[in-house]
Amino acid sequence: MLDLILQTCVNALYASSYTALMAVGLVLIFGVMGIINFAHGELLMVGAYVVFFLYATFGWPFPLAVAGSIVIVALIGVLMERALFKPMRGNPLGGLIMSVGALFILQVATVDIAGLGLAKNIPPAYDGSVALFGIETLTLPRQRLIVMVAATAGLVLLWLFLTRTKLGWALRACAQDPEAAALQGISLDRTALIAMVIGAAFAGGAGALLAPIVQVTPYMGHAYVVTAFIVIIVGGVGSLEGAVVASVIFTFFDTFVTTFIDGSTAAILGLLLMLVVLVVKPTGLFGSAEKA
Amino acid sequence: MSKIRKGMKRRQFLGTAASAAAFTAPYVKRGHAAETVRIGFNAPVTGDVAAWGLPGLYGCEIWAEKLNAAGGINVGGTTYNVELVSYDNEYLSDKALTGAKQLVLEDGVKIVLQLGGTDALATAEFMTKNKMLSSTLVPSDLSPETTYLVAPCEVHPLYNSTGVEWLARNKPELKTVAMVTQDDTIGRPSVALYRAAFEVTGMELVHDSFFDLATTDFAPIMTAMLASKPDVLCFDTAYPDFINLLNEQAFLQGYEGTIISCTLDNYPVIMEKTSAAFLEGHIFQFPDFDDQALNQPQINFKNANDFYAEYTARYPGSWNAVSWEYAAILELWKTAAEKAGSVEPDPVLEAMKAGGKGDHAFGPASWWGEELFGINNALVGAWPVVQMQNGKATIVEYGDIPTWWEKAKDATIKHFEELGEMWYQRT
Repeated sequence: MLDLILQTCVNALYASSYTALMAVGLVLIFGVMGIINFAHGELLMVGAYVVFFLYATFGWPFPLAVAGSIVIVALIGVLMERALFKPMRGNPLGGLIMSVGALFILQVATVDIAGLGLAKNIPPAYDGSVALFGIETLTLPRQRLIVMVAATAGLVLLWLFLTRTKLGWALRACAQDPEAAALQGISLDRTALIAMVIGAAFAGGAGALLAPIVQVTPYMGHAYVVTAFIVIIVGGVGSLEGAVVASVIFTFFDTFVTTFIDGSTAAILGLLLMLVVLVVKPTGLFGSAEKA
Repeated sequence: MSKIRKGMKRRQFLGTAASAAAFTAPYVKRGHAAETVRIGFNAPVTGDVAAWGLPGLYGCEIWAEKLNAAGGINVGGTTYNVELVSYDNEYLSDKALTGAKQLVLEDGVKIVLQLGGTDALATAEFMTKNKMLSSTLVPSDLSPETTYLVAPCEVHPLYNSTGVEWLARNKPELKTVAMVTQDDTIGRPSVALYRAAFEVTGMELVHDSFFDLATTDFAPIMTAMLASKPDVLCFDTAYPDFINLLNEQAFLQGYEGTIISCTLDNYPVIMEKTSAAFLEGHIFQFPDFDDQALNQPQINFKNANDFYAEYTARYPGSWNAVSWEYAAILELWKTAAEKAGSVEPDPVLEAMKAGGKGDHAFGPASWWGEELFGINNALVGAWPVVQMQNGKATIVEYGDIPTWWEKAKDATIKHFEELGEMWYQRT
């Protein structure tokens, strides 16, 4: 039983890593720009497709393909911010509708470029599994280990950026109070662009890292963005710390229920968890009243 | 956006379509092939379930092309060319119903091919009201009300019994099974059947759970399965992407035992992610059609090896469980139309079911189903048991479903009832 519990913890930590990457990007975009980016799952999908082309089709080394993926999706983020979200600044509903439009555009563009039909299978870049802590029965596939390490590194770098750099402080100031930040001379345009680039890059990176582990289709983003939305609601909309903590809580909850009861029940109870949090603490675990 | 007229739009077909036209033209001039009969294809061509639609559409295109090149179909003295009209329902109920209405009311098709489950259930009432012959690959869609819906090819999930029977007979040392099931209209009837089949053979289910269709990570599911230390893993009937990921997880978590599942679609890709040794001995139900066992005299799917060769040459990497099935239904439809002397749904249906017997792709069969579905609209007979041998899907025997049913009837109905899957339990 102990083996099973430990393995479940490892499975949950893995799921936490990419979920946090997605959720933090969403929160950053919402916090700074005030936009709920429904196309965030599609940014993940594009990241996975870029890896499909660069790594699986053209034979680039996997790390290089992931880097390429992050750059391309970040550029898409720039395009989305400048063309869709900037004109809608101060109009959250308009931004939301724009993001839904972007969702469809990205899906259709992917279908046009990559084709319809069967899912893309991408061979793992790193074969086999590693035994953790010297316990032979406690294993993690190398490809998943890469996801965990890269996601953790990304989150730590983001934390350092937000807490140790002027630009990071500016981002946090805009997220807390855009008007006060503007009065201090912080450019909202610039911080919005940076937030979008970071958010998109995180989503693209998550998709790129996951590509060899999941089935890549133009519609794959949906499941991930739904989970990310649940997480940011539980964590408190607008709270980066909340997004990370809620990612861990939610994925541990989901993974344990899946392992010890079943997957269908986990899906239902996951939503129930969100509802309970909303009833007990409507602002989420780390959210403030102003952000709710 | 979803409607595609086949043979006209697909780029890779242009060359072959031109050749087919060149072949067909002389027949048009010599005979009376001015008439066209339209066949509707209302199944997922995109989306999560595309793998059980698109490869089937490819098979239909090959069938229609060959038929037209050979002069069409002669019905009551009139020669018809066949035109395939497809609608991509994305396996969504509302789109399936829209597709059915378009195909029947606007396009004037004479039969509608469907995957079954979500799409066939959504269109059943409309098809019955409009007296339109339609088909499903999922006979558990059938009920006494679905008088125009037939399951003349795939008898899912009944055929899964043949794999379990073979396993129990040939590997009696395997006693315990861990099973997972996708929680939907395809997975649930299938798990009821597998539960009955394992019960009848005396194999114990040590893990039996459902997973949600939105599942993206199968690691926790596999961890739970393997914790029960089973002799056999059963993946039930699941979408090809899920089967792929489940196999990969079993491999990564070190499983080395026997696996049984309904399908093992695109197994070369799974092998790429696992190994030939890992897949060796995997039991499932869908052969590659280059199998020599398909040349046996009782097999009614003629020239199966040639069909496979053409299919795999034209659509590399696309062969799977459904590649031949919709085409097999069309072959039955063609025979019935010729026999009826009409392409209209009523006489074709009557001719198809005449005498209660039919020529199923895998041999003589009977129209059956009243005990389980409330209507005898499923063509049931033999079905192959397929095993991975030396990296290749190989038919190991043809199992007899009616014989199995006689001994497993009570257990099957019990498990169908427990899951609310009997026709009289559906709302």
